[in-house]
Amino acid sequence: MRDTDAPPGNLPLAGCRVIEISRGVAAAYAGRLLATMGAEVIMLEPSEGSPLRRTPPLLDGDSGASALFAYLAVGKHSAVCDLGSEDGAVLLQQMLSSADILIDDTPLASRPGFGTEENTVAEAYPELIHVSVLPFGASGCKASWDAEEVNLVHASGEGFLLPNGYSHELFPERAPLKMYGHFAEYQGGVAAAISALSALWCVAQTGGQYIDVSCQDAMLLCGAFALQRLGDGSLEHRATRKFRYGGVFETANGYVELLTLEDRQWQGLVKLLGEPGWAQEEALQDPLERSRRGDEINHHIREWMAQRKVEDIVAAAQQLGVPAAKYRTPEDVLHGAHEASRGLFEATELADGRRAEILVAPYQFATSPLHFQSGVPALGSFGDAGTLQGARA
Amino acid sequence: MSSMKLPLAGIRVADFTIHAAGPFGTHILSQLGAECIKIESKTRPDAFRKPHAVYGRMTAATFDQVSSNKLSVRLNLKKPEAVEIAKRIVAVSDVAAESFRPGVLKRLGLGFDELVRVRPDLLMLSLSSSGQSGPDSHFAGYAPLFGAWGGLGWMSGYPDGPPVEIRHVMDHTTGYHAALAIIAGLYQRRRTGEAQYIDLAAREVSSALIGDALVMASFGKSAERPGNGDIAMAPHGVYATSRADRWLSIAIRNDAEWQQLLDVMGVARDSISPEFATASGRRENREFLDARMSEWLSRFDADTLARQLQAAGVCAHVSFSMQDIADDRHLHERGSLVEVEDPSVEQRFAVGSPARYGKTDAVGIHRGTPDLGQDEDYVFGELLGMGREQRVDLENREIIF
Repeated sequence: MRDTDAPPGNLPLAGCRVIEISRGVAAAYAGRLLATMGAEVIMLEPSEGSPLRRTPPLLDGDSGASALFAYLAVGKHSAVCDLGSEDGAVLLQQMLSSADILIDDTPLASRPGFGTEENTVAEAYPELIHVSVLPFGASGCKASWDAEEVNLVHASGEGFLLPNGYSHELFPERAPLKMYGHFAEYQGGVAAAISALSALWCVAQTGGQYIDVSCQDAMLLCGAFALQRLGDGSLEHRATRKFRYGGVFETANGYVELLTLEDRQWQGLVKLLGEPGWAQEEALQDPLERSRRGDEINHHIREWMAQRKVEDIVAAAQQLGVPAAKYRTPEDVLHGAHEASRGLFEATELADGRRAEILVAPYQFATSPLHFQSGVPALGSFGDAGTLQGARA
Repeated sequence: MSSMKLPLAGIRVADFTIHAAGPFGTHILSQLGAECIKIESKTRPDAFRKPHAVYGRMTAATFDQVSSNKLSVRLNLKKPEAVEIAKRIVAVSDVAAESFRPGVLKRLGLGFDELVRVRPDLLMLSLSSSGQSGPDSHFAGYAPLFGAWGGLGWMSGYPDGPPVEIRHVMDHTTGYHAALAIIAGLYQRRRTGEAQYIDLAAREVSSALIGDALVMASFGKSAERPGNGDIAMAPHGVYATSRADRWLSIAIRNDAEWQQLLDVMGVARDSISPEFATASGRRENREFLDARMSEWLSRFDADTLARQLQAAGVCAHVSFSMQDIADDRHLHERGSLVEVEDPSVEQRFAVGSPARYGKTDAVGIHRGTPDLGQDEDYVFGELLGMGREQRVDLENREIIF
């Protein structure tokens, strides 16, 4: 990586400079992942700000700061850059000449006007890693197709399989479901971050390069097991993709997830249930037989669960080595003793001056704890702070 | 194959991961060119090497995506001599990765402190359900439990129903994040020459995927489970079409797209209720709107309409089954699907790299699932310099086993 004016720090990606042009969640998450691990990430936003600044959920209902933007932009810098204008072109040139990585989710048709076409960038910045992040990628017959999360999660096969288990039993006729939030776009973001770092790893040998990331591909890779099942001869469907026994159970005060894959876990479950008569049956010692009679087993478990509290069930189950977990709300997670002890959240200033607890990262580096290098940037704050000089090579 | 075509060529991973999440992470590294040595044993076969009855698979898998590309050696880690050999593999590796329950590897004598002695600049990743520290760190779990603990499960589901079980995608996104953390750790090691230990908690990946809802919670706002709905977009959802179980996902972001949708469907603008004219009106009357959408869309072929809507700039896509995926022209044109050899079936696909690299374009899948211990000549023979007789002796004593 190049020398920069920034202090080296000891975070994993210290010294790495990333320029992010993001309208959507995938590119923004890629930048966020890199920023939290120590890269200097500069978002180039249009004068009116990134559309993500206005994307729900909003902190004040119909208005106010976007919680999504706060989560995705914390630790980054913001510079106003109207791509396509003369000033914008000058600033883009300044930015890219000192950058290691460009992450760009501009639709293909707009790239010539923005000056971010593959060849244009490659000629001007031969050492730059240029990562294109688009819903369906930059090649193939759907390269120009647009998508929101609901489209991506269904284009990649996982949506068709949701909901499975208890939800589908209750509502078999309803439309298939997306997962909460931006799951598929987040996978696109991880793919983009991995692509950027892997290409930069060998930049001394290969020089810069262009990488075409597709969110659909990234989500499909996450769902690869269902394609593997197709190869095994099983076309999965949400009606049949369920654990033969176990799954989601309603308790007296919430929901629990229970899953016993190993024989010893089944034995633990029988103990948890108080060693009832039905579970003593000789035939049920055979895991294949248990699978065949899964509905019957679940019926018994469901009756038992409904009488008890979720916290008591989970504590007793885990004591017996039975995998069980409470379905926790965001409030449970935010205020969780486990999360607090691990320092999962960091109090951080938002662009409007308010403070929020924001999740830092799902991994910890033992010798260099991750932390936000700055709060959520106000629009254009990078230039305001006079730090633009730092961007000039 | 030229190593210049693979960005992580020259990186070696001692791979102790089991189940799905950890192996997915090292599989990603292997697609990028890292050499992953999967350390396993007949005494404790990996999940795909045996039946998975709870899932309904009554025999071993013939192909396993997350094991593909990897080398396989056998080591019965219950035996101290096997542990010593495992350490020798780590000594010639850049990275060690594991996904046992916290404490297991340490009890085997393969904890980070032990391994750093044989490889002073080791980058090690431990992936577990709840992390290596904290009051819940001893909890056992699988993908649906990660989803439950971390909040993604609660936030997903029909608004009036129970939470939803997040399946393998939860494992795999966990492994995906693990691969990223490992590559970032390599940069740090290149700069400092020092060892590093990464502690990844799968439940925290689940939380990371609801990061916005957690920001809302920090302001005391309960995020509602939206189901297929969206706060800003309407219509937004998954709709039945003329064929049974052929669903179409549609997301309308603004009035212009709404007009395009009506035009493509051939719905006269003056036949529409006035409250649907504005985005706020459509949001406020979401249920009524969805009912009308269902009426209109029941007349259309989902695949044809998706193409027409995309041509008009409207976000739409059919809800694909895996058969649709396997047959999709776009995915084949991109090379997203890789045909892998499997003697038991005519043709089967795996998912290749989600990115096309301009220069290091050999990224992807090059080998199928390894047979147990198939790469011992290379690993034990070439890398560790063990002789034939020595290996036979170790096999007889069930150390290489």
